[in-house]
Amino acid sequence: MLSSYLTMAAILFCIGLYGALTKRNAVIVLLSIELMLNAVNLNLVAFSKYGVVPSLTGQMFTLFSIAVAAAEAAVGIAVLIALYRARGTVNVDDYDEMRR
Amino acid sequence: MDTTFSQAAWLIPLFPLAAFLLLLAFGRSSRMIGVLLGSVSSLAGFVLSLLVLIEHMTKGQHDYQYAVKWIDTGSIVFKAGFEVTNLTALMLVVVTAVSFLVNVYSAGYMKGDERISVFYSYVALFTFSMLGLVLADNMLTLYVFWELVGVCSFLLVGFWFSKPEARAAAKKAFIVTRIGDAGLLLGILLLYWYMPDHALDFVRIGNAFEGGTGVIAASVTTWIAILIFIGAVGKSGQFPLHVWLPDAMEGPTPISALIHAATMVAAGVYLVARTFDIFQASQTAMDIVAYIGGFTAIFAATIGVAQNDIKRILAYSTVSQLGYMMMALGLNSMTGGIFHLFTHAFFKALLFLGAGSVIHAVHTQNIQEMGGLGSKMKITAWTFGIGALALSGIPPFSGFWSKDMILNIAYHEKPALFVIGVVAAFFTAFYMARLFFLVFMGKPKGERHAHESPPSMTGPLIVLAVLAVVAGFVQTPWNDTLGNWLTDGAEQENGGGGLVMVISAAIGLLGLYMGWLVFVKGMISRDFVSSRAPWLVRLLERKYYIDELYEAAIVRPLRALGGLLNGIDDYVVDGLVRAAGGAAFLIGRGGTRMQNGQVQTYGLITAFALVILIAAVALRRFW
Amino acid sequence: MFNIDFTGEFVAFFVFSVLIISGAVLMVSFTKVVHMVVSLAAVFIGVAGMFILLDAEFLAFVQVLIYAGAVSILMIFGIMMTKHQDSGAERPRTLNDTLSAIGALALFGILFYAIRQSDFPEPQTVPDGTVDNTMAIGQQLFTGYVVPFELVSVLLTVAFIGAIVLAKKEAD
Repeated sequence: MLSSYLTMAAILFCIGLYGALTKRNAVIVLLSIELMLNAVNLNLVAFSKYGVVPSLTGQMFTLFSIAVAAAEAAVGIAVLIALYRARGTVNVDDYDEMRR
Repeated sequence: MDTTFSQAAWLIPLFPLAAFLLLLAFGRSSRMIGVLLGSVSSLAGFVLSLLVLIEHMTKGQHDYQYAVKWIDTGSIVFKAGFEVTNLTALMLVVVTAVSFLVNVYSAGYMKGDERISVFYSYVALFTFSMLGLVLADNMLTLYVFWELVGVCSFLLVGFWFSKPEARAAAKKAFIVTRIGDAGLLLGILLLYWYMPDHALDFVRIGNAFEGGTGVIAASVTTWIAILIFIGAVGKSGQFPLHVWLPDAMEGPTPISALIHAATMVAAGVYLVARTFDIFQASQTAMDIVAYIGGFTAIFAATIGVAQNDIKRILAYSTVSQLGYMMMALGLNSMTGGIFHLFTHAFFKALLFLGAGSVIHAVHTQNIQEMGGLGSKMKITAWTFGIGALALSGIPPFSGFWSKDMILNIAYHEKPALFVIGVVAAFFTAFYMARLFFLVFMGKPKGERHAHESPPSMTGPLIVLAVLAVVAGFVQTPWNDTLGNWLTDGAEQENGGGGLVMVISAAIGLLGLYMGWLVFVKGMISRDFVSSRAPWLVRLLERKYYIDELYEAAIVRPLRALGGLLNGIDDYVVDGLVRAAGGAAFLIGRGGTRMQNGQVQTYGLITAFALVILIAAVALRRFW
Repeated sequence: MFNIDFTGEFVAFFVFSVLIISGAVLMVSFTKVVHMVVSLAAVFIGVAGMFILLDAEFLAFVQVLIYAGAVSILMIFGIMMTKHQDSGAERPRTLNDTLSAIGALALFGILFYAIRQSDFPEPQTVPDGTVDNTMAIGQQLFTGYVVPFELVSVLLTVAFIGAIVLAKKEAD
């Protein structure tokens, strides 16, 4: 059963990666990143049950990761709004300050 | 046993060196400084040389040698020093005398040239190098100065480098003499290899070879002699490396007189005389020297008949006379060679300076465009006439005595060479008559107003004319002064030779008479030969097509090879270089495209890199 | 390899998998932003279901609460506070999209290969299903993980304040 969960997580991660790399709306990019985080969480919990030594550690990790992800989402949206106010767009194509 | 002046002989080359350095530093400040420094330094050198010579003549046969360590690598020690022998002393006087006169002469001849100071600095450098060459006590230092005079020759031939002919001539002179230099260098290396203790100084070389004692194997001796002779062939314009000398006449005329008539080209003869012991140890080498010399003598003399450029005629005459010197050396007569060198230096310098005076007046070098200058340029005409008579071998001028001596030796040693020498002497007299009569007699041609040259130019002419008359009396059939003095009495000239003397004088007079008949009286039509055998004239005018032959046989293939190598360099080597540069450029362009500031592009690249990294790590398990 | 016994767990797993994958694919392929968020919420719910299958009830609860609830709502707020021109006006980025797809697929290929190749040993101890998951986590959290727990609370506070500061209008 473990490999099914892992495969599931891999699919989710790759879809998230694809979304993060192709979507042009910054909000959707953030969402895709949340997807990838969820895939990781799924892995952790799966190992927590089906690992060689099952323990709660994986779940604890997931808990912290969810907390950090929540903080990240909040700050990310805040940054996005500030950026939108400054540039008038949420299109990531227009965010090319790093080139300058 | 007083050698005061000989000990100070090393100072002689330092005068022109100092002049050169000073001119290098201050030459541009004043136009006269060059004239002054050049003349004074060469005069000082001349005075000291004269003192050395007198000392050598009065105080007996005492050679003085002094050397310091130059390179000491433990097992191998090279020394550098100077040696004053009778031969050196004589050469010193010749070089400094001609150099001084040419310096004075150039003050007038080069007056209008804006680079006169540069000219004088080159002349000073040349004088220094030539004196160093003469004084050198071993082959290695001699070789250094040998190359230095080559460089000076290159610089001075190409002095008017804005003229393409001068550039080409300078290159040609340098490259052709280099062939000879390579031979000389090989000879020196061979000598170094086989000499006991690797000694290269002339004293020990002389000891090693003297009397064919067999310190060095006969075949090796022959090879060394031939290789050294190749160096002499290059420098002295002997066949087949004579081609550069006539072209070198593109340089200023005083230079032609100093370098390409009196001194540098004589360096080859001097070299053979200096290493005469080596040659004497190998009869084969001696024969080669003699026959090359004899062939060059007649070969160049015949070309001289058909040339129209006044300096080129003299140049071929120089080649021819150098051939005489070589022939004399090859016939085991150092006295003959050096004696002719001695007289030739004066009368050929005289002829060149006279030619320079003529060119100065009429601004052309084509003798067909000259004529009737005798009445307008009396001093030039008279002195030039004396030079021509000396060259033609008319008694009692100096050329007669030296040439007579060579012919006398040839008569006794190798009659074939005697015949060649006599025929060459006839041609010499004939082309000198042609030259003299066309330039100074007849009707003036062209509208140019010719005038006599300034005293600074005519003065040296007169001095040289006097020398050309009297220089021959140091050695006459009745008077062995030079021979005794030069060779320590080893070469007893078989005097008498009245027959040879008569033939020699007669053939010279005959040549002049023929010239007179053709070019003054017109009894024999000028196109007597050209109408009957135009191919012959053509052949002579084109100098036996030697240049064309070299062009086709050597220059073209080398050029093609060079072109090929250049192509390889352009397309293969440079192609690789360009490909490397282009690759870097493309990578940079790609990098620029990637670095577009888009986070997603960066992420994409990172993802790919991750995939590749994982794949690489994973695949490693299968290796 | 695919010797599947049709237990209840498998059925539930299958249902949640379909929910997650379809939600994720729809999220990527939808054009309207709000639809994307809604499909994403479906993914989050599916993941929560999976957590339940994995005996992590507390995490499932947190997942629904934080992700399906708070994060989705946050995203919707973010969307509403910014203006969106829907796709179509955007110039296509075929190369970038293709390469991204290739990259993602390659990564998945490697991961899938690794998962299939790996031989996962059976768990040595069967976890006691009777223990209250929430209580166990709570005990762990306040004993072994108390320092990280406090740090996370600080982090959340900082993020909270920072988000306000960042999103606040300039006081000009």
